[in-house]
Amino acid sequence: MNPDDIEFIAENELVQVISNFNSPVIALIKGNVGPFRAGLTTHVPLWLAVNLRQRRQCKIVPPSWMNVDDLEECKTREKNLRIFTKMPSDHYIEVAKLLLDCSSDDIPQADEIRTIIKDIWDIRMAKIRNSVNSLIKNSSSFAALDNLTMFEINSMMPLVPACLSQIMRLKKPPRGLNTQSQFPSSILINTTNTTNSL
Amino acid sequence: MDDISSEDILLEEDESEMMHLTPAQLVDRMQETWINEIRAPEILPYKYEYVECLLEHINSMEENIETLQTASLVKVVHQLEIDRFRYIIASYLRTRLEKIELHVFHILKEEDTRIEKNELPYLSDGELQFAQEYKNSIEQHFQSVLSFWPGMPPDDWKNNPVVPNLDSFVFLKSKENVEGVIIDDSDENDIVDLKEGSQVILSYSKIADLLKNDKVSLL
Amino acid sequence: MLGEKAYSLVKELEDRQCEILPYNTDLVTEIATEIVHLYDQNHQDVRLEDSRTPGTSTNLMPTVRMRHAAIQRNQRCLLAYHYNRLRLLRQMRWEFGSILPTELKENLSAAENGWFNKYSTILGKYMRSIGENGGLNLAVDLKPPKALFIEVRCLVDYGKLELNDGTNVLLKKNSQHFLPRSECEELIRRGILQHIAN
Repeated sequence: MNPDDIEFIAENELVQVISNFNSPVIALIKGNVGPFRAGLTTHVPLWLAVNLRQRRQCKIVPPSWMNVDDLEECKTREKNLRIFTKMPSDHYIEVAKLLLDCSSDDIPQADEIRTIIKDIWDIRMAKIRNSVNSLIKNSSSFAALDNLTMFEINSMMPLVPACLSQIMRLKKPPRGLNTQSQFPSSILINTTNTTNSL
Repeated sequence: MDDISSEDILLEEDESEMMHLTPAQLVDRMQETWINEIRAPEILPYKYEYVECLLEHINSMEENIETLQTASLVKVVHQLEIDRFRYIIASYLRTRLEKIELHVFHILKEEDTRIEKNELPYLSDGELQFAQEYKNSIEQHFQSVLSFWPGMPPDDWKNNPVVPNLDSFVFLKSKENVEGVIIDDSDENDIVDLKEGSQVILSYSKIADLLKNDKVSLL
Repeated sequence: MLGEKAYSLVKELEDRQCEILPYNTDLVTEIATEIVHLYDQNHQDVRLEDSRTPGTSTNLMPTVRMRHAAIQRNQRCLLAYHYNRLRLLRQMRWEFGSILPTELKENLSAAENGWFNKYSTILGKYMRSIGENGGLNLAVDLKPPKALFIEVRCLVDYGKLELNDGTNVLLKKNSQHFLPRSECEELIRRGILQHIAN
């Protein structure tokens, strides 16, 4: 799965648009969208919003979290806490990228928002690097990843899982050897440090 | 335990679940199935119902919009949605084909075992046929490569097939509360409870059954 | 040195990982000859060993074992070479379809050509078996669908352009348009349109 696929999944998120055309409800397979009344808002999936915006058939209402104040608060919290905080959207990176790319005119202070999102991303990536570092040093076989978004998790692919798999392989006794007599079990598996919070 | 009757119950559950799925739920299930397949190191049970059902929706939608004016907004919007679902299905099936090709000897052996034990197969009929023909084509090619061999060409290479690494690590999200997942084979007391919605990384082999029973999904 | 040819055969795969090089008939034949030679020698030695009166062994077994190891290594390299070429051919089937460009086809052995056609056939059969409505072509939709509209400026008075969806666009000098990327790529290359980046 590459970043394109993650963005594709993020495009399912709903956003509000203000259309400049009229249309009755469109019955999509996944559910109805519309009705569209010029000047009125309606919820549509992001892929549709982006498409309509590119045809200049709507304006996109930025999601409620996409404003400088809320994001600044988010950033401060992320900076001050050691854990990963919950992001306002499970796809904040992709949604921000898509909206800022196609409809920055509709978003007040778009440039500032871009910068803050980038800052938040950087803070979180630094945390990920630290956690991964200790995860690998402890050769853990488990870690909690609460509040990380799909895009962030994907950024660890394939390196992190591959590293851990490799460490597991090295820890595993060679086939056909009697492990008990070859290694003291304490060296084989470090059981004290298996639980790490990422 | 009587295998056959427990399967019948499983089948019935599957069918009744399908009847209760709204199209929106079906699409979500298909997407989850697709991501699981991409992330899992081994091939997962084929989700026949999701693929068939969604393809049916796509086909009937395509028929419905055929009469609409080409450039009409409604048609474009429907077409965009159809393209999205078609991509998920195509990518899902491609991912499975890649696994089948890579691990063909292993997968067919496992499939045989499942049939012997009267368990549900993992491959679709089409995939099974593809797998068998693909395996034959590889065997034939190798035989022709080794045809110079004095006496009987060796076939010991078949004994050492490429197998998926089930110990590889995966990211996952728990769909419900799960207690007592063993995270380290060397220590049975080294267990962890997964709360609904929690995200973790651990070795695939520890959660393969949970995944197949729809208790967790891969990320 | 024993096994050296097999090594260079495998090495050939590594040098150009994404490209199918001409089938190395010479090297493959030489390795086959080496195997046959080792095999014959072993055969003779084993017979010799068997025919000796017990206790007078000249102990040929270590030599036999070494030759056997060399045979196995050669076999493994041969299969690795051929298998990896099949994987490349498979890739080519997905990229180019069931008919290969002539210049690539020339690089295949007769058996490989046969395999390519067989693979093509079974893949086609599988794709036709999907669903109930005549199948699904898996060789398209390789990337997530994107609303691929881009903003372009017209550099010359071009006139009317009919789009695939039936709409007409009048391309006048200095006019700006939102057009599907696929349909204006050629005009951009010809210098009629200019892509305006965001």
